[in-house]
Amino acid sequence: MTPVLILQMILAAFAATAIYTVVGAIPGADETATLAPVTLVLILAGLHPAVVLAFFMAAIVACKLIDAVPVSVAGIPAGVMSTPLVPHALILKAHGKTDESIRKIASGALVGTLVSIPVSLLLASFIIPYADAIKSYGGTLFFVGAIFLALMSKNKVVALISILPLAILIQGLRQFYWSVGAVPEGTNVFVSIFLAITIGPAILSLLELLNPKIRADKQVLKKNEIRLEALDHLSRVPNPFKILTKKELGLSAIASAVGSFLFILSPVGITVFLGELVASKEKDPVEKAKLALTSMEALAQGTYISGTIIPLLAIGIPLTPMAMGPANPLFNAPPVLTLENNLHHMLSFDTFVVATLIGAVIASVITFYLAVRFSRQISKLVFKYIPHEALIALFMALVLLLAHMDGGFVNVIGVLIIGLISGLFHRLGVSYGVMFMALYAAPWIMETFF
Amino acid sequence: MKGQKEMKLEKKTQTYNEIWDDLVAFRSLMLALALCISFMAGGYFLAPNQAPYSLFMGLGGALTGFVISSFLIKPKRIVIEEK
Repeated sequence: MTPVLILQMILAAFAATAIYTVVGAIPGADETATLAPVTLVLILAGLHPAVVLAFFMAAIVACKLIDAVPVSVAGIPAGVMSTPLVPHALILKAHGKTDESIRKIASGALVGTLVSIPVSLLLASFIIPYADAIKSYGGTLFFVGAIFLALMSKNKVVALISILPLAILIQGLRQFYWSVGAVPEGTNVFVSIFLAITIGPAILSLLELLNPKIRADKQVLKKNEIRLEALDHLSRVPNPFKILTKKELGLSAIASAVGSFLFILSPVGITVFLGELVASKEKDPVEKAKLALTSMEALAQGTYISGTIIPLLAIGIPLTPMAMGPANPLFNAPPVLTLENNLHHMLSFDTFVVATLIGAVIASVITFYLAVRFSRQISKLVFKYIPHEALIALFMALVLLLAHMDGGFVNVIGVLIIGLISGLFHRLGVSYGVMFMALYAAPWIMETFF
Repeated sequence: MKGQKEMKLEKKTQTYNEIWDDLVAFRSLMLALALCISFMAGGYFLAPNQAPYSLFMGLGGALTGFVISSFLIKPKRIVIEEK
């Protein structure tokens, strides 16, 4: 490792941060779509693999961290990984605590990154032999997770009742798509179903509003008063340890560490399960939302990093969702990189450490600073000038777009169906966590019970 | 300019409805939906068949609809900053 190489890594990290802080905030700009091609291009262009790694690490950290802004301000997830945060962010928004939401999420991200890097680097070699074992228990874990979360919710019975019907509905639709030819046989539609669950309550409300009588019954005459709390003096250098309470700090650190252990499983599934689990430790709804946001974000960053680093460092084969998705070019980019000769083979442990640290630290610090420093200004701007109608319309359009891309027009209808049912369950008191777990466990449930 | 078209829409209804934890005016919502969805569909179906183009052009369309709606529709919020 020469000083020139280190300088190149630093520059790459800065470039990635600049680009992905902006791109990451755009709803619908998925990591796989926006990051994998760029990474591929950089590798094929002949950049040193360590530089590409630094670029990549900076990009995923920035991309995820900046999601704090659209999620908190508008309730719009700028990526699938941010979707579980939306309901909690909306609670804070309803209390006028939008900028606090941004700060909590950004701080959670920082904690998650800080914890996950050493955990991933240290564990890489030890964990790999257990990867297959953990993977085979994935379905069971998520089913147990669904039951667990249901038992922890307020309406236990309804929550428990909702699991099997939802699973059957989802698997039913998936198999229907196979038989109709909308989706290749064996491929499970996922992202659009996930979004359908999130958007469920909104679809239900939307359809209700089409009925003039209901519209009149539920109408409100006064505009919404958004109170932005008086800001206690934000020091010039925002300090995550001051922004987070000890509870939030501790629990999100633990969450990130555990998430790194479970790197082999779906990042979103783990985020939802552990995040909701951690948040259940808090009774007050506002504090609960803050805790959920912080730990989910820490987890998300943790799984991003561990999901990339562990396979790369330990074995060189893409095993995790992260490695198979956005990080794939790091494993396989013919003719430069192949499964027999990729970053795993080309970089030493030291180089791995340095590249990861440079990328993650630079991105974390810069994007964190931007998000937190301007959290109040961004919130105010959006509240004053961006109408809620536009936000809802944007989100709906995105869901329709992704639904069509996932499985054609029949999936658009399928998404509508799933949205309505989840919206109904949500209204009956079933939390998003339970429904997401049901989605994850669906294939396993069908195999095991039916 | 801003809000004038909306005032015509809302002449009869100055009432709002709640959806997803915030308030909307029904007709403005329909307008925003029409704009976003049609621009999104336009971009998506007019895009060349290659991999990321349809996603990006659909996305671009949705964002265009979003921006236009933001100009035409006024937020139903009163922002109060507590000192």
